[in-house]
Amino acid sequence: MINLQPYENPGYFVLLVVALLPAIIIRLNGRRSHWYETLVSFVFLFLMFDGRKWTQGVALIGYTIWQFAIVALYLRYRTKKDSPNKFSVFFWSVVLAIAPLTVVKFTPLFDHGRSSIVGFLGISYLTFKTVGMIMETRDGFIKDFHPVKFLQFLLFMPTISSGPIDRYRRFEKDYDRTLDREQYLDLFGKGIDRLFLGFFYKFILGYGFGTMLLPNLQRQAMQARGGFLDFSWPLIGVMYCYSMYLFFDFAGYSLFAIGISNLMGVETPKNFNYPWISHNIKDFWNRWHMTLSFWFRDYIYMRFVFFIMKHKWIKSRVTIANLGYLLLFLIMGIWHGETWYYITYGIFHATVMICTDAWIRWKKKHEGLLPHNWFTHAVAILLTFNTICFSFLIFSGFLDRLWFH
Amino acid sequence: MKLAKRLWLILGPIFIAMLGVVTLLFWPGNYGQSRQDNVEKAAVSLSPNVFKGNLLKSAAFNEDYVPFIGSSELSRMDPFHPSVLAAKYRRDYQPFLLGSAGTQSLTHFFSLQTAGKELNGKKVVVIVSPQWFVWNGIQRGMFSYYYSNLQTNNFLEHAKPSDPMAQYAATRLLQLPSGSSNSTLTEAIIRIKAGVPLTQFQKTYLRLSERLYDHEDSLFSQLFLRDNRPTIAKGEETLPSQYDPWVLDDLATQMGKGETTNNKFGIQNKFYNDRVKPVVGKLKDTQIGFDYDYGPEFSDFQLLLDFFSRHNITPLFVIPPVNGKWAEYTGLRQEMLDQFDRKIQYQLRTQGFTHIDDMIDEGNQPYFMQDTIHLGWRGWLAMDNSVRPFLENKQTTPKYKINDDFYTKAWQDKEPRLIPDMRGGKSN
Repeated sequence: MINLQPYENPGYFVLLVVALLPAIIIRLNGRRSHWYETLVSFVFLFLMFDGRKWTQGVALIGYTIWQFAIVALYLRYRTKKDSPNKFSVFFWSVVLAIAPLTVVKFTPLFDHGRSSIVGFLGISYLTFKTVGMIMETRDGFIKDFHPVKFLQFLLFMPTISSGPIDRYRRFEKDYDRTLDREQYLDLFGKGIDRLFLGFFYKFILGYGFGTMLLPNLQRQAMQARGGFLDFSWPLIGVMYCYSMYLFFDFAGYSLFAIGISNLMGVETPKNFNYPWISHNIKDFWNRWHMTLSFWFRDYIYMRFVFFIMKHKWIKSRVTIANLGYLLLFLIMGIWHGETWYYITYGIFHATVMICTDAWIRWKKKHEGLLPHNWFTHAVAILLTFNTICFSFLIFSGFLDRLWFH
Repeated sequence: MKLAKRLWLILGPIFIAMLGVVTLLFWPGNYGQSRQDNVEKAAVSLSPNVFKGNLLKSAAFNEDYVPFIGSSELSRMDPFHPSVLAAKYRRDYQPFLLGSAGTQSLTHFFSLQTAGKELNGKKVVVIVSPQWFVWNGIQRGMFSYYYSNLQTNNFLEHAKPSDPMAQYAATRLLQLPSGSSNSTLTEAIIRIKAGVPLTQFQKTYLRLSERLYDHEDSLFSQLFLRDNRPTIAKGEETLPSQYDPWVLDDLATQMGKGETTNNKFGIQNKFYNDRVKPVVGKLKDTQIGFDYDYGPEFSDFQLLLDFFSRHNITPLFVIPPVNGKWAEYTGLRQEMLDQFDRKIQYQLRTQGFTHIDDMIDEGNQPYFMQDTIHLGWRGWLAMDNSVRPFLENKQTTPKYKINDDFYTKAWQDKEPRLIPDMRGGKSN
């Protein structure tokens, strides 16, 4: 049985582009064929979850029915005339939508590291999409349920396994529009560009850092254990090398997903915007894994802050914001996995966020005390870069191997 | 026209590049032989490319090179290292070093897949480190480091369904991340494990990808070779021009004495300063529980034996000791090492592998080990005493009786005390 994992090797791209060729030609003529593009998506989804992965395929179908029902019912409830818009209904809809993901994320913890049978590749990203929809429905931004568009959005093939996380209203616009030849050519050109930048990132730089350099440095760091906290120079190498690997591998992957979306006429939002030139941690989270951090910002942090303010449980805005950061990054850490290093990574980022906020407030109070010029800017970038690389060293789990194995 | 032009601007460069790559990689001819210079370099380079590729090994084994299969000790290139001795005294063999930190039986088995027929009927030397035989076997990362899809490709092309060797190797491959690095290969490995013949599609795929990997090998594997020849040459300069084992042993004693002055373990000064001194206090009695008597490595090792048997190869197995003073300090039990020796020798001797240089008890010989677990100075010379006659004299063609029980968990877990002791004095 042929099984194809998305973007795993050059052959995949050849097959995918050949399959999309008729759709591209149709689009070059200023038209579009939804049914053909859907057929291609279906075939590639099938190839992704067939063979030995068939259990995941079944899980995906079950999951889709589950989410379909929740979103459809909640939308119907909210679009009823004089909908009471009760918090409890909203709350339970979100809980039910998150339930499968929660089960999948916690199964390994309670079942000796085994993965859950309801899990499949991409479950997190699909959950982000539906929860986002429920939130926007509560706010009244999504007003009608369109079964076909919902499925197209949820199961959009280029982004199914690892994002970027699109938003329903944005996707819907792209889905409905028909581009003329000029517009499509622009988008097509951009898509091809992104695919090739992605090749360079993932298959050349990511491979170089992750497969060629990293194991070497890790081995040296393991051999040099024994000093204070098992610290050694190779460990510093591991830190930078892993950070570079993480970026180029994931940014490359995201570029593939965006590039293929572009060929299908959809402008999936970008996921990375030169994160290494961030001048502080807040700037960084606006540039790194953007669709995820925006999702967490809009649907966890903001909701939390408004909720607390509305109920006036805490007076101090600073305290609310700090608690919000802690909540956001703790959830993000736990989402990555229930290990000490992911959770530490979350707490670390929350702490740096809180400190940065305090620093910015201090600077505002003492305006003019510190100059802003190219030098201070460079120092800020350097400091941010190193802080982030350190956090990725925690995230990598290598310290776990270094200290405890 | 305008559309064609714009499309050409977008896609033209890709077509040209793709044409170039496809021509380069799938060209039916071959890209010439490896350069002699590179074979010499590769013989002592210890670089991962040498394990991954095909070309350099095949070229070397078609000449007088003899594979020296081992691990990190091969990088201890003092003047008594086998490569230095062979070069200095113009022996009629030259070692081709296959071993680096982290290479164990499984890596060697797959690495030799790429050079099977060139080794038919030849001799090899295998240094079997007791440290390979930790309970969980080879580390995943280390296996990946020396792994290439070319190895698996060659393995799959020759694997016959329902062959215990192939089935065991496939099982192991699937337990390691490398086994899932290419999904088409993974599917094929699963079939071999299940004892089912490959599909026509898989066979065609293997044939096509072999050409690709071979071209890749001939284009790239000769780049990035570490050049250790200067180290070898430096070692040669230190040695007397006449070969005399007694003189050499004196020299080794002197050098060992001169280089182990800052510690009581007989460890080379530099190694002691860099790697031991900072942590020496913490390491006391940390190896009391170490055990090399059980685990998958015993079956992985069987893969090598099976491979030797099928290619009528005559191997000499060298079993090195652990630095005695160090073992005493860290609490590593000599009794456990003896049990390991007993088990591995049973596996060798019952199957007809009788060329064994057992040095497991020599850990307290002065200047025998360069550091904690690696042969050096007099240790290399002691090994040479069995290697030289083995390689220079004709050996009778061996008759092996391969026993597939060594692939089982039962053997991996077998208590050495319950095994007949077949060591009975040193033989050669």
